[in-house]
Amino acid sequence: MALELQVLTPEKKIFEGSVVSVKVPGNDGPFEVLRDHAPIMASLQNPGILEIKDATGQQTRLRLLGGVVEVLHNKIVVLSPGIGEEQG
Amino acid sequence: MANLKEVRVRIASVVSTQQITKAMKMVSASKLRRAQGAIQQIRPYAEGLQSMVGRLVSGLEGSAAEMPLTSVREIKRVGVVLLTSDKGLCGGFNSNLIKTARRFIQDLPDDQQATLIPVGRKGVDFFKRSGLPQDLRFKDLMLKIRYQATAEMAAELSKAFVQGEYDQVVVIYSEFKNPVVQYYRVMPWLPLQAESPSASTTGPGAGAGQGAADYLYEPGREEIVQDLLPFSLAIDLHKAMLDTQASEHGARMTAMDKATENAGDLLRELRLQYNRARQAAITTEITEIVGGAAALAG
Repeated sequence: MALELQVLTPEKKIFEGSVVSVKVPGNDGPFEVLRDHAPIMASLQNPGILEIKDATGQQTRLRLLGGVVEVLHNKIVVLSPGIGEEQG
Repeated sequence: MANLKEVRVRIASVVSTQQITKAMKMVSASKLRRAQGAIQQIRPYAEGLQSMVGRLVSGLEGSAAEMPLTSVREIKRVGVVLLTSDKGLCGGFNSNLIKTARRFIQDLPDDQQATLIPVGRKGVDFFKRSGLPQDLRFKDLMLKIRYQATAEMAAELSKAFVQGEYDQVVVIYSEFKNPVVQYYRVMPWLPLQAESPSASTTGPGAGAGQGAADYLYEPGREEIVQDLLPFSLAIDLHKAMLDTQASEHGARMTAMDKATENAGDLLRELRLQYNRARQAAITTEITEIVGGAAALAG
């Protein structure tokens, strides 16, 4: 089973799909989520950069204005109240 | 019989009114579609958040009650957030919301003091001279509903609640059922009610993991809950505002549809009247001519 990522904000669904790894800006320090990561809930830095890497090796960076992340059974849900402009 | 010209003028005026109501109905229909879209958009976020909070709080009953945003205390001062629209011509929509608010305030026990927090011009205008204490900081938020602005309002009110300015805050809004039906609701908003444990098993992220115990928490479970509760409050308020907005457009669409229909009925009647008057005039004219000819021949 692949690693599934959802990035949700109140205004819209920012990202949904399979990824290889996600670097999460946790409040206690950034960490990277790969397949079979242990279940975790963490609050996010405001602002913090979320780095997504998908199967083709392409990277996406999102500027999150805080929020929370939950990882459970290879499913990552990022809830953020808002998102800044994307950067390369 | 009515004067021909008078009837003609009335017909023209009713026709133009009908054009306006028809146009307003169509504008409302398209705004309603957009408002419904906005409600759809927040659903994944709201559900994800709800299930997350549910799972976080379910194992934490004792300490959850001690958090500032959930603390239940004796109610002396009640904040009444009243959501209305900025514009009228939507049937009984705003007056129903205002009525709900008035009834709620009247039904409060004598030792509870209500402060009105109106959002939307109709509510502001109605209660302007009511003598109720009011907080007008948020009155323009219905103009353009943005999550950021709602979140700020939620944060301000939470602060007021924590500082003891209010002991309870309710939100009076209109729940959108479908374009014709709205429910006028009083939603208890602060103190935040601890989610029922059943909420933890619903929602998209719930998965198979029933036991929340095997999570890692960073920084800590309670801190995350503390972090999440303001989001939860903001999204509840935001949802109420979006629902009210959709209800407004739905109500206006229905009202304008009715108005267009009424104008049609009126037009039919006026046209009948006009033709009758016209025929009577022609008959009179012919009678006069025939009479004149007969007089000459005689």
